Amino acid sequence: MKTLTLLSTIAVLTFANPAFAEMDKMDHATMDHSTHAEMVMDGKADGAIIAKSGDAHISVNGLVCDFCARALEKTFGKRDEVKGIDVNLETKIVTVNFNDGQTLDNDTLTQIITDSGYNVEGIHRVE
Amino acid sequence: MIRIFTTLIVAGVMMTATAEARPVSYPDGWTGMLMNDGEANTAHIHYSPTAKTSIGYKYEHWRDKEYDIHAVQMNNLLKRWNEKGVFPNLYLKSGLGVVDGKGQDYDGETDMAGFTGIAADWETRRYFTSYENRYTKAGDLDDFFQQSARVGIAPYVGDYGDLHTWLMVEAKHMPENEDKFTVTPLVRLFKGAHLAEFGMSTSGEALFNYVYRY
Repeated sequence: MKTLTLLSTIAVLTFANPAFAEMDKMDHATMDHSTHAEMVMDGKADGAIIAKSGDAHISVNGLVCDFCARALEKTFGKRDEVKGIDVNLETKIVTVNFNDGQTLDNDTLTQIITDSGYNVEGIHRVE
Repeated sequence: MIRIFTTLIVAGVMMTATAEARPVSYPDGWTGMLMNDGEANTAHIHYSPTAKTSIGYKYEHWRDKEYDIHAVQMNNLLKRWNEKGVFPNLYLKSGLGVVDGKGQDYDGETDMAGFTGIAADWETRRYFTSYENRYTKAGDLDDFFQQSARVGIAPYVGDYGDLHTWLMVEAKHMPENEDKFTVTPLVRLFKGAHLAEFGMSTSGEALFNYVYRY
């Protein structure tokens, strides 16, 4: 009976969760990630914001799960210069959006990522 | 026993393989964990000053062994191989504290206690493997070795913020037990700061783990 209950639970979760994931993806699909960044801070999405000149796209090694993304979100969230970040686990790109008139240089960005436990592969500034 | 433990540590390092959720959080991060299986109920809260170290308090209630352990536990990230899409880690987990005897055999007895072991994991967005071992010395009351390994697969790959689901199987080896090996199929659910695991071992023992990071 216990085995049957466990197998039923696994089956429900296996078949039900992709549906939840697809629902979320439908919401995300309405945004153009090539030109927009979903700004997230403290786990709250503030909606789509256009990545502006000076913002940074950072290619990061080691990003495989939400925990990695959350670590970067928390760490960048402590910086006054940062308005929000977007973490794309598929492309391993972290987009950092800065407050008006503020920025962080590449060395500082690299240091923040490294201190969080990950490696920077490259940084590209939005022109 | 020490030779076996040393051999397994070396083997574990070479395998780069583990179990459990991340023993170290992000800088300035706190983690609370409740772990329950056929052997013990544990509670662990730790603080990570850096991404390489965590320190905290761990309480373990060993039901059949009839004692509790209270310990200060330190976890160290020994090595991380940051690759594109792959995330292997190797940790050292050690604790020092006291054992508090319960039940008929040990009631009222207290002694120094300590434990140490390694944990390693290899993870992509789709696959997960892990290995963990530990040697525990509970004063003059007891000493024992344990090890466990997991394999897991995500039935779908979710985006950041989605509910992530993993189907896993854990094999646990406790040489001193009558049932030396137990196998536990389990489901891991992970969303935001919350991680929960539900399982049932082949011997009918329930597994429930909960982790919260903040």
